[in-house]
Amino acid sequence: MKVPFSAASIRVKMTGWYTAALSLMLIVYAAATFLAVRQEFQESLDDQLHDDFESVEGLLTPTPDGRVAWSGDRRHEPDDDEERGSDVWSPSGDQIGRSGASQALPPVALATAGAQARYDSLVASGRRWRTLTGTTLVGGRSVVLRVSRSEERLREQLSEVLKVLVLGLPLVILLAGLSGYVLARRALAPIDHLAVEARRVTAERLHERVSVPNQHDEIGRLAAVINDTFARLESSFDKLRRFTADASHELRTPLAVIRGIGEAGLVETRSPDEYKEAIGSMLEEIDRLSTLVDTLLRLSHGDAGSVHLARESLDLDQLVRELVASLSVLAEERRQSISIQAQETVPVCADRLVLREAITNVLDNAIKYSPIGASIAVIVHADGDCGVVEVADQGPGISPEHRERIFDRFFRVDSARSRDTGGSGLGLAIAKWAVEINGGSIGVNAAVTGGSVFRISLPRGNV
Amino acid sequence: MRVLIVEDEAKLAQAVASALNGEHYDVVIASTGEDGFFRANAEAFDLVLLDVMLPGRSGLEILQTLRQRHIDTPVLILTARDGVEDRVLGLDLGADDYLVKPFALPELLARVRALLRRGRPSEAFRLKAADLEMDLVARHAIRGDRVLDLTAREFDLLEYLLRHQGHLVSREMLAREVWKEPRRATPLDNVIDVQMTRLRRKVDAAAAERLIHTVRGVGFVLREGEP
Repeated sequence: MKVPFSAASIRVKMTGWYTAALSLMLIVYAAATFLAVRQEFQESLDDQLHDDFESVEGLLTPTPDGRVAWSGDRRHEPDDDEERGSDVWSPSGDQIGRSGASQALPPVALATAGAQARYDSLVASGRRWRTLTGTTLVGGRSVVLRVSRSEERLREQLSEVLKVLVLGLPLVILLAGLSGYVLARRALAPIDHLAVEARRVTAERLHERVSVPNQHDEIGRLAAVINDTFARLESSFDKLRRFTADASHELRTPLAVIRGIGEAGLVETRSPDEYKEAIGSMLEEIDRLSTLVDTLLRLSHGDAGSVHLARESLDLDQLVRELVASLSVLAEERRQSISIQAQETVPVCADRLVLREAITNVLDNAIKYSPIGASIAVIVHADGDCGVVEVADQGPGISPEHRERIFDRFFRVDSARSRDTGGSGLGLAIAKWAVEINGGSIGVNAAVTGGSVFRISLPRGNV
Repeated sequence: MRVLIVEDEAKLAQAVASALNGEHYDVVIASTGEDGFFRANAEAFDLVLLDVMLPGRSGLEILQTLRQRHIDTPVLILTARDGVEDRVLGLDLGADDYLVKPFALPELLARVRALLRRGRPSEAFRLKAADLEMDLVARHAIRGDRVLDLTAREFDLLEYLLRHQGHLVSREMLAREVWKEPRRATPLDNVIDVQMTRLRRKVDAAAAERLIHTVRGVGFVLREGEP
């Protein structure tokens, strides 16, 4: 079956392109060489004709009777009989002298012979000739002089050159193609090797890496990129594994509670009030369970990118004030105070509902983890191209090694913290998702007052 | 008032039926799409609760056929999918309201009441329960001879409880109707609980009879007399 070129291996493609480019260059080079040689030959023939012209001129002598005579040896170059010749005519058209192969050539039309010598190419009796025709003065009388040389030898030499070029070219191209193929194979061998190594790294052996022979060449950089990808893949696999374990734990706990209450309730007969209490407590767990499932579902919609955002320009300052007002009752219960320090109108571009959720969760977090009577500071300001909310709490603070993971799903700094104060463990994960899907960023740092500062930064809107 | 429940999940149908019975509705259960369609077509009901995912005949198909035959009984669709498409499609086909499973029964009962009340003038400007009275125009409330000093949020909350007096109100309903939050979140649940505690303190603390009750795991209810 024929493989289309586009589907061929890189090795074959490289060889193909290389050979094609080289062929083109060689053909151009050969053609130029041929043309230059031909030009050179032509010029040297013309030079010879010029020499001939001068020597024939020297052979002409004026006779005492006022005519011009052809003196000397008629056949000055006996061997060259067939190859060259010369003619001399008087202005009246009489042939004064003739030598060599000139018989084959037609006579010159005297009228066309000007004072300026002229080169011509002509064909006579099946041969190509080059002639130089001119008028010259011999003893005061003008005569027409023509010297001629056959072009046949020159043509033979040229065809010799052409033969060498035309026959040699395919051979050179073939050799170039072969060596190109070998070179391409050698150059690409590390890539094949890399592919074999990369294939070895599977989901089960994700900790393995491909070897980096030389980190500064192209292959080394590719290997480094592949290793980097594996590292990220490994970390997301780890995350997923941890998430699945955590999620099943979080889902199992309420189920275990429900089951326990149900079983305990059935063991012995109790008063209606006790039954009501048991059922209510089961319902609470069910409520917790469905909230958890809803939240997980929403996060997974978010991961799948199937959340439709209605982004609009909104005033961050106003939104934060609204949310603080709404949550302030929770702070009041803990005798905490929330202070807002804000610039006037900080426009950001975000989906209102999603952003509300993010800020609500961060505020709730601050209230939950700050001690009774603490003060929480909320700052809203514009920072370059961003609108920024900072929430500083007086909680226990987060150690630097936990600062990244605090936004992971189900991550809790204190793993022993009970579900009642710890919430679902998804609040900050939701906040991170909600901020990032709006093109913003969220981070946490140590606050100067102790505790932590959560900083949400969002792209500016254009109010 | 006759209500038809078209639901293939027997336990859920029974639970809904007994809740509706408790509110003195006559309930008929159809466990298949065919049966449901047949009954809705042949008998007169005041309301149909229609599950979308039914074996045999989909709830949306039934709804469409009913509406094509000009049977205009109010229909409340129950959908397990939280997909917007299902909801929109259902409402387009002529459903009057929808609930996403799993739903809370107080929520279902509130929707049912709202649908059956539809078309009747129900706007009162004064609400009353025992010696608690609210004037919605003047926005003030009194318990006996005591004027209640309520914040705006507390006032709205009390108004909602009074409008649904005798009926259970879930946190979800409060979040949506009083706080106008389309999405229920844990922080908001806590806010609702705190506000409810404060409201109860103001309304019930100095009174002989408690009006606002917490039903554990379900929500709240405002009612006269002990249950």
